[in-house]
Amino acid sequence: METLSSANLVTARVAVDSVPDFINGGPVKVPCFNQPWKRVPQLESEEVHLIELRRRRKKMKEQKMGAEDNVPLDDKARRMRDLLSSFYAPDPSTNNAPSNPGTLDAINTSSFDADQYMNLLMQKSNLDELLQRHVEMAAEIKNIDTDLQMLVYENYSKFISATDAIKRMKSKIVGMEANMEELLDKIMSVQSKSDGVNTSLFEKRENIEKLHRTRNLLRKVQFIYDLPTRLGKCIESEAYVDAVKFYTGALPIFKAYGDSSFQDCKQASEEAISIIVKNLQRKLFSDSESIQARAEAAVLLKQLDFPVDSLQVKLLEKLEQSLGDLQLKTDYIENASMESNDHKLGKVPDSVHITAHEGSIHGFVEAISAFRVIFPDSEGHLIKLAQDLVVKHFETVEQCVKGRISCANLLVVLRTIWTDVLLVDEVLSEAVLPGFSLEAAQNALKQYVASTFNYLLHDISDALLRVNVSSKEAAEENPLQVALEASKKALLQGSMDVLLDFRQLLDDDLGLLVQLRDFVSDWVQEGFQDFFRALYDCFFLLSGRKSSSSQDQGLTAGAHGEKVLAGLVLVLSQLSVFIEQTAIPRITEEIAASFPGGGARGYENGPAFVPGVMCRIFRSAGERLLHHYINMRTQKVSTLLRKRFTTPNWVKHKEPREVHMFVDLFLQELKETASEVKQILPQGLERKHRRTDSNGSTASSRSNQLRDDKTNRSNTHRARSQLLETHLAKLFKQKVEIFTKVEHTQESVVTTTVKLCLKSLQEFVRLQTFNRSGFQQIQLDIQFLRTPLKETVEDEAAVDFLLDEVIVAASERCLDPIPLEPPILDRLIQAKLAKWNEKNPITP
Amino acid sequence: MQGGSSGIGYGLKYQARCISDVKADTDHTSFLTGTLSLREENEVHLIRLSSGGTELICEGLFSHPNEIWDLASCPFDQRIFSTVFSTGSLFDIDLPFYGLKMETGLIVFFAGEGESYGAAIWQIPELYGQLNSPQLERIASLDAHTRKINCVLWWPSGRHDKLISIDDENLFLWTLDCSKKTAQVQSKQTSGMLHYLSGGAWDPHDINAVATTCESSVQFWDLRTMKKTNAVERAHIRNANYDMKNNHILVTAEDESGIHIWDLRKPKSPVKELPGHTHWTWAVTCNPEYDGLILSAGTDSSVNLWLAPTSAEEDATSESIVESPAQQAGPLLNSYSDYEDSVYGLAWSSREPWTFASLSYDGRVVVESVKPFLSRK
Repeated sequence: METLSSANLVTARVAVDSVPDFINGGPVKVPCFNQPWKRVPQLESEEVHLIELRRRRKKMKEQKMGAEDNVPLDDKARRMRDLLSSFYAPDPSTNNAPSNPGTLDAINTSSFDADQYMNLLMQKSNLDELLQRHVEMAAEIKNIDTDLQMLVYENYSKFISATDAIKRMKSKIVGMEANMEELLDKIMSVQSKSDGVNTSLFEKRENIEKLHRTRNLLRKVQFIYDLPTRLGKCIESEAYVDAVKFYTGALPIFKAYGDSSFQDCKQASEEAISIIVKNLQRKLFSDSESIQARAEAAVLLKQLDFPVDSLQVKLLEKLEQSLGDLQLKTDYIENASMESNDHKLGKVPDSVHITAHEGSIHGFVEAISAFRVIFPDSEGHLIKLAQDLVVKHFETVEQCVKGRISCANLLVVLRTIWTDVLLVDEVLSEAVLPGFSLEAAQNALKQYVASTFNYLLHDISDALLRVNVSSKEAAEENPLQVALEASKKALLQGSMDVLLDFRQLLDDDLGLLVQLRDFVSDWVQEGFQDFFRALYDCFFLLSGRKSSSSQDQGLTAGAHGEKVLAGLVLVLSQLSVFIEQTAIPRITEEIAASFPGGGARGYENGPAFVPGVMCRIFRSAGERLLHHYINMRTQKVSTLLRKRFTTPNWVKHKEPREVHMFVDLFLQELKETASEVKQILPQGLERKHRRTDSNGSTASSRSNQLRDDKTNRSNTHRARSQLLETHLAKLFKQKVEIFTKVEHTQESVVTTTVKLCLKSLQEFVRLQTFNRSGFQQIQLDIQFLRTPLKETVEDEAAVDFLLDEVIVAASERCLDPIPLEPPILDRLIQAKLAKWNEKNPITP
Repeated sequence: MQGGSSGIGYGLKYQARCISDVKADTDHTSFLTGTLSLREENEVHLIRLSSGGTELICEGLFSHPNEIWDLASCPFDQRIFSTVFSTGSLFDIDLPFYGLKMETGLIVFFAGEGESYGAAIWQIPELYGQLNSPQLERIASLDAHTRKINCVLWWPSGRHDKLISIDDENLFLWTLDCSKKTAQVQSKQTSGMLHYLSGGAWDPHDINAVATTCESSVQFWDLRTMKKTNAVERAHIRNANYDMKNNHILVTAEDESGIHIWDLRKPKSPVKELPGHTHWTWAVTCNPEYDGLILSAGTDSSVNLWLAPTSAEEDATSESIVESPAQQAGPLLNSYSDYEDSVYGLAWSSREPWTFASLSYDGRVVVESVKPFLSRK
């Protein structure tokens, strides 16, 4: 059974191998194919089998398909296929090797051993199983048989069809060769004939081509000859586009042959073209033409190689001229301000006539837009032009600012400028005019703020300097007071006005200003800061105490001269106090209310206006100026005293007959001081209280103790000192603070002045040596001074002490200090008093 | 009253105006001072700061025939000094003194219309400590003056045989020979009409330059030609002092308007202004060692210590708050106000440059140290 199947398999293998060989055209291995004629009956008998086989195969296939559809392939079929595939596989050994010969499955392998298999089967299975196995195997064998048969039939049918095909082919190929040769002959003849035709026609064709070219040339020549007339026609019909097209077309020819053959023609057409150019230029320059027409003209001119740039320059010049019309004139500003006044008065805004300016700006804008269309590449010039306009505008503004323009006027001007800018910007956005003008406006506004403060400063210094004038005229009763009030008013009112003005700037909704709002409030704050600094400098300049930093400020120095009125210094001092206590707080409030801090400055720099610092500066300024005033006053007295003490020979002084006149001068000076002080400074409110204070025991007891210590320390050294007596005497007197802090009150200032003068008096006395009479003279003078001084002065104790000190000093410097007898002293004083009262009946 | 009791006190018997640092004494910090008493016998005190620096010791006490208006110690010989003195009136003079002067016959009195002034160079006798009543030895009299003498100047920087004396009208240059005990006028110059000289200062940097103060200006002289070279127009200058450290810097004190620092190359306006004193600023002196440290004494019974460096950079302390009588806070380091009377005499010690002596009119010498303030520099 096994041998059979394997033999069948081998034949089938030969058949299958040979089929592809034949198809590939290789030698046919099947022997009977070589004799096809012998095979015919065989084939016929086989055909019956084949049909039969086909039918069965078909059936099987159907069955198989069904099986595949319903259940997985049964064992048999699979084994079958495996077998087949292993047979056809290139290397059959690989497939068989792994199978174990010791199992029942080894039946399918090549190393199958039938005996072994039988033994295995016998050993493993009982009878039933063996029987079943037998049945199965018989069925399988039968199946394989049929399959084998089927395969063989299949092979045969293929052979048969192949032989059929070969047979048919053989019969058809015979006789083809002759036809082909015939065809070749015919093609050759056709080719030779066509060559003949070609050569015979060649000459004619060339002729035709030449003629054609000549005709074109002739047409061109005709065109050129016609050109002048054609151009003329174009000029008539104003078809400049065509004309230019024609001319530019003809131009290369003119260039090549213009000097020889077409000379006349060229001239004529050039003339025509020059007319065209003129016309085009006229067109370009005429404002009445439409912009497109003008632009067209420009393009045409450019095509004609006409120097358009020069035209552009000309047009630009024209524009620039119109720019001149645009220039804002100062009178225009005045007009504008009048208009704005009208606004304020409530007149109908419609009544505002369109000013010449508005007209010209519209013209300008139109011109620019036209220009842009005409000369598309002219932006650069236009931008420059527009910027020039803005620059000029702002130059005017700056001039106005220099000329103290009111804020409303400034606003009007700025508004005009801004509308101009916006208009121009519409047609020429590349110029970035808003940004540009913003910058310019920034500068202008900054200048405006600065100049406003400058004017404010001037106002104030003017108000102050009026002291000089009015005191010379002496018409007014209280010139200093008037000056103080005036300058106070100038300062406060001026500052408020300035703030109001700036407020207007802030409130205005003009686009230009809105963007600068932050800056403006910063500048205002900075402006105040700088203003107060400048004012501070100005004060010191006016007071004649030139601080080195502000020396060449020249603000008022020229008008002022070197002599400074002491009263002015006092006014300045009081004004400083006013600024510190009233003006700066008010202004700070106002700024806080209406200038919400501009953030443009950056927070790290802090606020621009620092009222605290300013207050401190002016507080110190007030004090310094007050000191300066006192100094000036005492200096005057000092000169007086210096003369008094250096001139006479005190050692040979004669007996005192009357109170010396320097006392009069001194008192006169004091009176003047008092009157000035009375005008300016407030009265000390707590006069009584302070007097007790300065006499109070707290301070003096402390200093007394200190003094005790010191005396103890140095006692040993000065045991024998004669001075001790005086010193001890002084000890038991109250320690008098001579140099107390000056306050801004009438009494304080006068007292300080008196104290300083008396101290100077003492110092002058100490530098001299007196004889008895000289000493007595001093004694008399001092004695006389006592009463009037006490009346004017708040701190009687100190003055008393100082007067005593002068007498002590005189006695120390006297060779023979014997005082005047009291009756004589009294008599002399009475005499002087009588005289004094005569002269000044009012003063006691 | 800050730092009031830190000073070391010393009492003179009488009132006094002038004190001078004994520069030539390199072993001790000592000062010379002379009294100003019209009617008593005047004294010259040689005071020495004890080694511990806690006490002032009277090293020598010498009688001086007249009241002393000016006293200057010789910078190269510690035993030599000069004085300017006045004798009061010839007619009213007390007899014993008069007699003494007549006896010695050394002083030539010039007959003014009342007071008479003289100037002399003195030498402290050797072994003065062992003598009972040591007498000053007069080396020379500067007796060419006819007017009120203001001061005698030594060249502050070292040994120089010239002396300058200034009276109301004239400037004298003397040649001093200590060994021969003679002084001769080398040259003389009159300041000119209407310029009453009041004092002067000798430039420590230039042996030929002298500044004199007068009513309306400071004048500068070249001693070789005795010609005026320069002038600073400024009224009422009381005192002038050259900066020892910086060339061209002169400090002046004015009655009412405080202290000014001048750069002599720019005489138009002062380099710096200090407020000075409440009343007159009487004397001003620059520290010989520390740059910009200035002392001023005033008739408001106080001595102020200033720091005002003249170099370009500005003091950054101007913002601080003031509580002293002066209005400007920055340059004022301290105000010593523990004095009973006007302070006229002021001298830095050149040996211990952080120490100064001040003399108030009541005859009290106070020596103070400025060390606590130096650290601020």
